[in-house]
Amino acid sequence: MPVFQWRHNWDHFRDLEREVDRLLQSIKLPFPNLRLQRRFPAVNFFETESEYLLIAELPGIVAQDVELTVAGGMLTISGDRNFPAEVPEEAYRRRERPHGPWQRSLSLPERIDEEQVSAEFSNGVLTIHLPKLADAKPRQIPVTTNNE
Amino acid sequence: MPDEQQNLSREAEESEESMHESPPRSLVTAPIDIYQTDEGLVLVADLPGVTTDTLELQVQDNKLTIFGRVAPVAPSDATLLHQEYEQGDFLRSFILSDEVDYDRITAKLNNGVLEVCLPRMPQAEPRRIQVDGD
Repeated sequence: MPVFQWRHNWDHFRDLEREVDRLLQSIKLPFPNLRLQRRFPAVNFFETESEYLLIAELPGIVAQDVELTVAGGMLTISGDRNFPAEVPEEAYRRRERPHGPWQRSLSLPERIDEEQVSAEFSNGVLTIHLPKLADAKPRQIPVTTNNE
Repeated sequence: MPDEQQNLSREAEESEESMHESPPRSLVTAPIDIYQTDEGLVLVADLPGVTTDTLELQVQDNKLTIFGRVAPVAPSDATLLHQEYEQGDFLRSFILSDEVDYDRITAKLNNGVLEVCLPRMPQAEPRRIQVDGD
């Protein structure tokens, strides 16, 4: 077992997450994949060479209903998911879809170019592009000796 | 004991490699709402990422099946840092009651939300039967 590894800090969390996922997946639940009682919207976060990608599942929501802000390394998306008002509460036989006001705040792992953030909507899937700042790339620091 | 540990780490590495080679496609159960109207039932399902081209909606016998394919959004070279949902295809099926008029089922898909109208069979009109005497 290597004691010290030159790897990205996140890798360990990812390994742990995968292990936990694998454990959870081995448990047989009556509805294993049913997306219930979870934060809305569910988001996946990706990294590429030049940018971060936040992908959120927002079915039934249109672009103008989404509020997106980036400030101080924190990304916030919020909105309201309203269901048809003409349908009375008692008419529902089953209600699994999340509804009501929602908000998600996520801290970004590295400095991003806040001016260049862009987002697009497609079939209920929101993709937010968060380009990395040129500054955030690794910087060489010269080490000098002082013999005096 | 050290051998066992090595074996475990090797296994972990192998599974990691195979994960990179072919990401497993999983099936996801879409959340639904069902509500009653004067005409019948309305089924609403969240299918983010599904388009009219990738959606298959079918009724066979008394079973309604929703199958929606989802194309991956992130580029293939992107690294996943944080995952809250599994990317997969949506599958869910329902047994319809005999009251549903199968021929008049309609559906529409907007912004990843599917709405299926399941109208009730029209009530059979009472029919008068002529009784003849001998």
